[in-house]
Amino acid sequence: MTNLQPQQKTARSRGVSQWALAWRRLKTNKVAIAGLAVVGIFAVMAAFDRLVALYPPQCTVGLSPYCPGDGIARFDSPPSAIHPFGTDIFGYDVYSEIVYGTRAAFVIGLGATGLTILIAILIGLTAGYFGGWVDNVLMRLTEVFLVIPFFLLLLVFLQISIKFAGGATGGIWLVVFIIGAFSWPGAARIIRAETLRVREFEFVGASRQIGASSFRILFRHLFPNVLHIIIVLVTLQIAGSILTEAAVSFLGFGAPGSNTWGQQMFIESNYINQAWWGTLFPAIFVTIMVMGFNLLGNGLRDALDPRLRE
Amino acid sequence: MSVLKYVIRRSLYLIPVFFGITLLVFTIERLAGDPVQLYTALNPRVTEVQRQALRHFLGLDQPIPIQYLQWLAQLLTGNLGFSFTYGSVSTIISQELWATLELQLIGLALSLAIAIPIGVLSARKRYSLLDVTVTSSSLIGTSIPIFFLGVAFILIFGYNLHWFPSGGLQSITPDKYPYGSLFLDQLWHLTLPAAVYTFALLAPIVLLVRSSMLEVLRQDYILAARASGLRERTIIYKHGLRNALIPIVTYVGLYFGGLLAGAPVTETIFNWPGVGRQFVASTGNLDFPVIQAIVVIITLMTLVANIVTDVTYAYIDPRIRLE
Repeated sequence: MTNLQPQQKTARSRGVSQWALAWRRLKTNKVAIAGLAVVGIFAVMAAFDRLVALYPPQCTVGLSPYCPGDGIARFDSPPSAIHPFGTDIFGYDVYSEIVYGTRAAFVIGLGATGLTILIAILIGLTAGYFGGWVDNVLMRLTEVFLVIPFFLLLLVFLQISIKFAGGATGGIWLVVFIIGAFSWPGAARIIRAETLRVREFEFVGASRQIGASSFRILFRHLFPNVLHIIIVLVTLQIAGSILTEAAVSFLGFGAPGSNTWGQQMFIESNYINQAWWGTLFPAIFVTIMVMGFNLLGNGLRDALDPRLRE
Repeated sequence: MSVLKYVIRRSLYLIPVFFGITLLVFTIERLAGDPVQLYTALNPRVTEVQRQALRHFLGLDQPIPIQYLQWLAQLLTGNLGFSFTYGSVSTIISQELWATLELQLIGLALSLAIAIPIGVLSARKRYSLLDVTVTSSSLIGTSIPIFFLGVAFILIFGYNLHWFPSGGLQSITPDKYPYGSLFLDQLWHLTLPAAVYTFALLAPIVLLVRSSMLEVLRQDYILAARASGLRERTIIYKHGLRNALIPIVTYVGLYFGGLLAGAPVTETIFNWPGVGRQFVASTGNLDFPVIQAIVVIITLMTLVANIVTDVTYAYIDPRIRLE
């Protein structure tokens, strides 16, 4: 027993970081790991889409010199050995088109979430830390954005950009920007609530006593302590953004010419009677990807919850 | 504080929010584009003078702040104005609002009726096979896009099995009515879209009821109720569920807020003549008065739903005071 004493001491002084602990907890959660695996597979698909896809993008198999296939053009052909998810009305290979849509899904998910979280962090931290009238003003603003029928405004925005800017639209980035600019209120409130909790800790008071600036306290002390919530919010928001874009594009309000899964469903659903596979498979992929992020987010929430910290 | 006083105070406070949103929508629409250009672009015989006359007729030649004030003055007298393309806005929307509410309320009621018993059962038998099945299928369910459900239902039950019509409010001619009854015909048309809403809401409500129930069943008063020999049914539904309802009420309140989140998509898929489909169509036509009216109605419904939610909290849980 006496032998063990010093060893324990060194182990403690070296310490295990909170992140290592969280990762240890996450690893035991099979569902969360499944989510992580799904996200990982999609990330590989997006990064190496040319290798994973069977044919080049938007290529009429059999007619175009870039994708000769077996020399026979097939339009609206059901799933088969050479076209696992069939071909669509244009003779494109549905599987390959889905693979090329993966990158767009990541661009939308990560882009919109990045913007949303940036706004939410700034507003949530500031409101929570300063309190008083700053908090009051920022939270009233948040409430306005919370009540705004976001989806309806999104449609109006996109319609206008399509109708009037024509080919000069920012394409997919406009969609990303609008989703990001309107999705932040929920996250801002959660970050504010957590900041209110952390603000009362002694180290914050101590830091102020030794003359640290508000900026330093905000970003050196408060931010790292609300980071665990932000990570969960990011994961779930990625899923939400992908779903929103898919819904918007499916209604025909997506960026014209962008190759997202929603856009594919919008075009293919016109021919759903002849070729249901063109609509069904992109929808399945949206579902799987969103599910991956949702499962991962739920797992992270359990793993990072400070009440469960050892 | 009395409920009435609370409601009045909250309403006063929500007025600026309401005007903020109307101003935002109004400005965005007008800064972005000219409907007259859209309507006349394809006709080469329309002259610039005629375009200007049309703009004047639609009131679009005024400066934006004047247009807003004029519209607001009309709105306060209850007049939603005239659509750019077809008739009075209130006539168009009032019927569609009923169609939308009918669908949404049936979906909400059905999903609550199904989800609450499932969630309660799942919480009582925690970690059982049933619980694991319910929880994992609900997690998958929350990720399924509503339009995917809609399309899948139409494909399976509409096109392939021919059990239900694939869209619309009712059959076009009376000879198609089942047993000659209009009511049965409408019910028949309602089934698929209502089922989509029910399924879409089922998963999140089940998860919510389960986690909320788990929290409550751990409380001392449940133990006390057990110890005093109450029937299991009474313990679960009277002492347990009532206390577990708060998060569910919040969700339902928020759902009303986001009521139209799914409506444009589902109503478009099922060709259901509600405000959601109308909104999609009006946005396509840049029909400003209709867009504004729908946004106003939805915003009002959201605000009212928020107040009702708060009042309901105090009714369910007397410990919550309205302040």
